[in-house]
Amino acid sequence: MRKNKYFSVHPQWASEKGPGYPVILASRARLARNIEGIPFPPAADEEDLERVRGMVLESVARRVVDDEEWDIKFAEELSREHLSLLAEQHVISRSFVEKTRGRAIAARWVSGRGVMVNSHNHVKIFAIIAGAQLMKAWELADKIDSSIERDVVYSFDQRLGYLTSSPVDVGTGLRVSTMLHLPALVITGEIGKTVLALGQSEIVVRGMHGRGTGVSGNLFVMSNKRTLGLSEKDIITHVESISRKVAENERTARKILIQESKLAISDRVFRALGVLERARKLEFLEAVELLSLVKLGVDMEILPVADFSIVDAVMRVGNSHLKALKGLELEEEELDRERAIHVRRILDL
Amino acid sequence: MSIFCDECGKNIATVFLVKLAGSEISRLQLCEECSKKMEEATEAASLIALVPQIISGMQSAVDGNLQEEVFSGEPRVCEECGTSLNDFKKLGYLGCSSCYKAFGDALENSILEFHGSNKHTGKTPTKLSREARLRLKIAELERNLRKRIAEEEYEAAAAVRDEIRQIESILNSEGSESEKE
Repeated sequence: MRKNKYFSVHPQWASEKGPGYPVILASRARLARNIEGIPFPPAADEEDLERVRGMVLESVARRVVDDEEWDIKFAEELSREHLSLLAEQHVISRSFVEKTRGRAIAARWVSGRGVMVNSHNHVKIFAIIAGAQLMKAWELADKIDSSIERDVVYSFDQRLGYLTSSPVDVGTGLRVSTMLHLPALVITGEIGKTVLALGQSEIVVRGMHGRGTGVSGNLFVMSNKRTLGLSEKDIITHVESISRKVAENERTARKILIQESKLAISDRVFRALGVLERARKLEFLEAVELLSLVKLGVDMEILPVADFSIVDAVMRVGNSHLKALKGLELEEEELDRERAIHVRRILDL
Repeated sequence: MSIFCDECGKNIATVFLVKLAGSEISRLQLCEECSKKMEEATEAASLIALVPQIISGMQSAVDGNLQEEVFSGEPRVCEECGTSLNDFKKLGYLGCSSCYKAFGDALENSILEFHGSNKHTGKTPTKLSREARLRLKIAELERNLRKRIAEEEYEAAAAVRDEIRQIESILNSEGSESEKE
């Protein structure tokens, strides 16, 4: 794997192999908190937002920051391109890119930990790590949470728990997710059943590069629906055990593909490889889709290609990443050309 | 498997999507042109679709409970931040922590419906340190100060300002100790 060759702040979790590899790619925990006595960000005025930002960043700088790798920035200081890049890396939400006033991000990018200030809640703590390790991701976030709590008073109700701007997060304020690569479940059509079952288990599923409700590259994100009435540990255990079950189903589906339709699946992944090898321009979604198939071929030991991280590869061929690399405004066609070049580099073709 | 676009049937498909709508799953392969068109259409619809399923779930719960609210006759507004139940219904966000009390049963029922519970059983904040309490007090006083200034009650504002300074000086003198904790 070529590490940090293309861009300096590339998160480790994207290229590391954690437990559950190659199906479960990453675990993420996010905690939503608000400061008592100040309106939630959607209703707060600029003065409120700046006050929150001051309080939170001061606390983070004093208690959380433990080495020089931490980066604390007002969102206004970051360019649109930089923000888009962070959104592509699944660190911040898209809405954060649109509106920057009064917002801030403090993060240790390499390790995937940080605090977002004034998105939909005053404080959003996040931690992303490789593989199926939700408990560890939560512990990392929880540690930051407890540190900040020593300096600020969070909105908390004895009965409803931590109060959040949207009641879907109320209670623990905890949303944990796993990122999964499920090409065989999609190819065999089993994914429909899986999604239905997940809904019944109160797990929310969406595509990692969701546009609307679409899914591309067979990359899925599964998170808890409920945040209230369950302890943090219950929430984590539930999402992790369901994710592991889905991963097991994916492994079974891969075995079935090899046993029952080896020629068809071989043909499909070789064709994908062929296109990636020869294409001179690639659209993002096309690249993602084909990389997913090639990755499946590598995992199933069909393709003579060295192993690579799908999530890392997808980040590297994203528009914002390509623009950041080239450091200029690339036209759409140039982006597609650059993307084709990068795909060949990633796959060593 | 055809190599052509599902939408126009003419061009070679280069974009492959799996579309999830509820439990329904459909696979789409589109050409560049049709995928752009679809993207635009999805973008417009995404105002609803992009919001995670969970929000729309909550929204329908809110809508249901709001109906009852309409019949009960009184439009609810949070006195603390001015957010109305209608604002919440439209935007999906509450204005402040007091909204949870202000919107009473309508919100309570939605929460119960969505989470299947209305009792928190997770982490609770550690008992507030003296420092945190003082900081909370300052935050309160600062709000009060802004209000006084807005209402041109300058003498009262000055008194509040002095109080803030006093607490700040206590915090500063104790700050060095708490950092060692």
